[in-house]
Amino acid sequence: MSLLLSSVGFGLITSAVLAIAAVGFTLQFAVTDVLNLAFAGVMTAGAFTAYLVNQAGYSVWVGLVAAMAAGSVLSALLNYLVYAPFQRRGAAPITLVIVSLGMALIIEFGIAAVAGGVGVSYRMGQGRTVRLGGLVLTTVQLTIMAISLVVMVGVHALLRYSRLGKAMRATAANRMLARTCGIRTGRVIAVTWAVTGALCGLAGTVFAIDVGSFDPTSTDIFLILILAAVFLGGPGNAYAAMLGALVIGLATEISAAYIQADYKYVVAFVILLAMLAVRPTGLLGTRT
Amino acid sequence: MSDTPGAAARRTPPSGRAQLARRPGQGRWRPRSAAVLAAVALTAALAACSSSSSGSHSTLTFADVAPFSGPDAALGPIYLVSCDGTTNAINKAGGILGHQVKCTTADTRGEPADAVPAVGNLIQNTGNLALVIGCTSDEAASVVPVINKNKTVMFCMTGQSEFDHVKYPYFYRLVPPDLAESYAMTVIAQKLGYKKIALAFGNDIGSQTFVQPAIAAIAKAGLTMVANETLDLHATTFRTEAAKIVAAHPDAIMTEALGNADPTLLAEIKQLNGGKMIPVIGTSAAISPVFYSACAKAVGASDFAANFHADNLVTATSGPAYEAFTHALLAVKGHVSGAQTGDFATYFTAPGAVHLYDGMNLAALAMVAAGSPDTAKWKPWIAKIGDGTPGAVVVNSFAAGVAALKAGKKIRYVGPGGPTSFDAFHDSPGIFQIDTYSTTGKVMVSGSITTAEIRAVSP
Repeated sequence: MSLLLSSVGFGLITSAVLAIAAVGFTLQFAVTDVLNLAFAGVMTAGAFTAYLVNQAGYSVWVGLVAAMAAGSVLSALLNYLVYAPFQRRGAAPITLVIVSLGMALIIEFGIAAVAGGVGVSYRMGQGRTVRLGGLVLTTVQLTIMAISLVVMVGVHALLRYSRLGKAMRATAANRMLARTCGIRTGRVIAVTWAVTGALCGLAGTVFAIDVGSFDPTSTDIFLILILAAVFLGGPGNAYAAMLGALVIGLATEISAAYIQADYKYVVAFVILLAMLAVRPTGLLGTRT
Repeated sequence: MSDTPGAAARRTPPSGRAQLARRPGQGRWRPRSAAVLAAVALTAALAACSSSSSGSHSTLTFADVAPFSGPDAALGPIYLVSCDGTTNAINKAGGILGHQVKCTTADTRGEPADAVPAVGNLIQNTGNLALVIGCTSDEAASVVPVINKNKTVMFCMTGQSEFDHVKYPYFYRLVPPDLAESYAMTVIAQKLGYKKIALAFGNDIGSQTFVQPAIAAIAKAGLTMVANETLDLHATTFRTEAAKIVAAHPDAIMTEALGNADPTLLAEIKQLNGGKMIPVIGTSAAISPVFYSACAKAVGASDFAANFHADNLVTATSGPAYEAFTHALLAVKGHVSGAQTGDFATYFTAPGAVHLYDGMNLAALAMVAAGSPDTAKWKPWIAKIGDGTPGAVVVNSFAAGVAALKAGKKIRYVGPGGPTSFDAFHDSPGIFQIDTYSTTGKVMVSGSITTAEIRAVSP
């Protein structure tokens, strides 16, 4: 029972980090029409930006803000210099996926060339340990969960109540119609890259804080979890991504308590495959 | 603030729904096709890339075939430090029969699927490939036959037991089989009075090869194995695995999970164990500046230094062989890519650096003794120079060996790794010692392990 409760707590932390990334990924995908596999690369760039700031003597929380800025700029540049030109030339979605895969490798190996292929850590303590029933969490982990919660509420507010959010939803639903209605979809897409890039930088940094030691390839497997969360919930739906992240995070950690732990990601994908077989559009996806 | 994502989504009316799902048929993407595309792309993403370099025909090339990326990325740079240091010393001594020597690399990523094309590329595109070093347990089983077929001599760091009894004429190694390391770790546990042992090994080939011998040795030694966790080296956290280990209340953890895995696991164990680290017994692969640096940052330098032991092969720490070796490595300090982390002096005791240095010197002296860089001619000289022949004078460096050969003497090379004794399979296993770290990352010898002690725990 103690192990179960512990694993639930660990699952919630994994879900919290995953949710930030999954929401950013799915918003980006829905509005920009690019299944951006370089997302994890931008996460890594964000994590290393925070590392540089941290190494310069600043708190990692200052680094987190710098990572958001770096993620935002890098994502905007990716769109401006790479994806948008391909889209203007009518590139097919699969072409953009391959392009994004190439960009992921370029970013990842670019960082490795500069920073080396070995693991690094932030200079920070994990805070004191808090025991809540059977849950054992540190104050840093609780902070990560709080950040995730704030991001989820913020995304909800953005989409529900702001003009930008409404424009993003309209662009996602039907870009042509949105343009006809006077929405400057090009600008909305550019802003979406910047906003989701900031989420990406944030996700990369909280991921690195959470795992303790990270290297340029650390987010590779995390990208797969992000995709699992996004497609389990239903692609293009921010709330579905949140739900997917919760399910995947809990499933991986709880399963690790009862089966050979290195199969925990397999469990996540068994759940995803079973879900897609029954409901191809995901948990909250619209049936076509 | 109290809204749950799912509840918010359910309450939101379709006309103003706060979600971004496309309407049927309107978007270019459909969830199902997107999922398929994602799967295809991910499959491609998992097939990672590899690299190698080409060489010139006027220069002999030594190739470091090892992981430079992936979880075991720390290994390649250790060998490269040794390669660059050794070749630099050889070139300063006039080269091999007038040929300059250089190093190149082939990144195996620690995966057989990446290693084979990387080695194929290396063989095809490298002029005057004279020697291969590295080939860890991660990739040895797949690349050794390829290199052997190319008739290139290799000094490998693999400890896999299959090389104890399968004959590859061009394969040489100066390290013991992994099962001997498992026995050595068990002896360390005995010596330190640990009764309950948890195993935490990575799911890579190189680490898993320790597990079964360790289980057998623990039983033979009368100790108790209380947990056995296999760590996915690509996983981002090991919290649940750590919780299982802490719940088993081990006296010590035997582990080899390189990359970020061990640092992350140890930090999580410390957190779950009320801030107290459980003692750790590592393999010789843990004797590297990169490993120390990552673990010290993860759990604190003083905690790590106080709770960590590892088996390591006995190597010289003074004398002419050690002086020549350290001088050679120090000459390239700061110039080797990927080797700028931590205390450089750790390389002086890192098994890969020491034994590959010896392997390269053996090969270079064999070429000089044979009077030819032609592999068929110099290969037989490796054992002659390593094991010695009657009347041979002991030399401790390439330069000293060349001088003695020029003087018409027979030589026996004894490097910092000690004298060799090759068997029919070209294995020359050494003997073990127990290493610890200081709080600054300096490697210290805290004890020795005798052959009798190893034999006592061997099943």
